[in-house]
Amino acid sequence: MISTNPIVFYSVSSLIIFFTLFTLFAKKIINSLLASVLVFFLAAVMFYILGSEYNAIIQAIIYGLAVPIVIGLSIMFTTGKTENIKSYKNALIIMTFGFAFLLFFIDSVIFSIINLPDTFNITGINQANAFNVLSAFAKGIFINYVLGFELISLMLTIVIAGIVLIKNKKSSI
Amino acid sequence: METEITIYHYLFIGLILFLMGLLGSVIAKNVIKVLISIEIMLTGINLNFVTFGTFCGGNNFDGYVFTLFYTGIGAVEFGIALFIFYLMFQKKESENIERYSDL
Repeated sequence: MISTNPIVFYSVSSLIIFFTLFTLFAKKIINSLLASVLVFFLAAVMFYILGSEYNAIIQAIIYGLAVPIVIGLSIMFTTGKTENIKSYKNALIIMTFGFAFLLFFIDSVIFSIINLPDTFNITGINQANAFNVLSAFAKGIFINYVLGFELISLMLTIVIAGIVLIKNKKSSI
Repeated sequence: METEITIYHYLFIGLILFLMGLLGSVIAKNVIKVLISIEIMLTGINLNFVTFGTFCGGNNFDGYVFTLFYTGIGAVEFGIALFIFYLMFQKKESENIERYSDL
C-alpha cells in the first residue's frame, strides 16, 4: 500500500487530462504531438508515484523519446503534400471541457491544501522495494510468462520480416 | 480530515485516459492523430495494470510485467501502423482518414 500526496496526484492527473484534451483538439498536428509527449511523460510520473520506477523509465524512454521521433519523422515526410482537412473541433465542447478542467483543478488544489498532511512526502511512504520489483520482473519474464515472452519475440521477428517483404514488394511495383 | 488517494483515484485516471483516447480515435480526421489516440488508450490500460500491480499484487508485481509487455508491443504496433500509413500515403497523398476506407 502506498500513500501519495494529494497535491502531487491531483496536479499530475489534471495536467494529464489537460494535455490529453489538447492532443485531441489541437489544430496543428505538431502541437498535438508535443502535447502527447507531455501526456506520456506525465504517465511515467504517475507510474513513479505508484512505485514502479522501471515502468516509469521504460515509458519515458519509449513513449517519451522514441515514439515521438518516429511520429515527427512521419509528419516531416508528409508535410506539404496534404490537403486541407476540415476541422472537427467544436468550440462549445472545448470550452465545456476547459471549464470543467479548471473547476476540477481549482477544487482539487484547494481541497488538498486545506487537508494538507503533516509531512510533505512526494512519492509516498512505503515505496516498493526495488530489488523485489526487479526480481519480480525476472521471475515474470523468464519463469511465469516465458511462453508469452517467447511468443512476443517471435511476433516481433515476424513483423520485421513482414516489413522487409512489404517494402520490397512495394519497391518492385 | 485527511484526504487519501486510493486505488479508485488511479483507476479513474486510467479510465479517463482510455475514454479520451477512444474519443480521439473516433473523431479525429488525421491518421497520425488517430494513432496517437490509440497510444493514449494503451497508456490508460498500462496505468490500470500498474495500479493493480501496486495495490493488489502483493509481492508478485504481475501488473508491472504486463505493462512491460504492453509497452513493447504498443511501440512496435505504432511503428508498423506508421509504416503502413506512409506506404498508403505515397498513393493517396492525404492524411484524411476517410481516404483510407479501402484499407
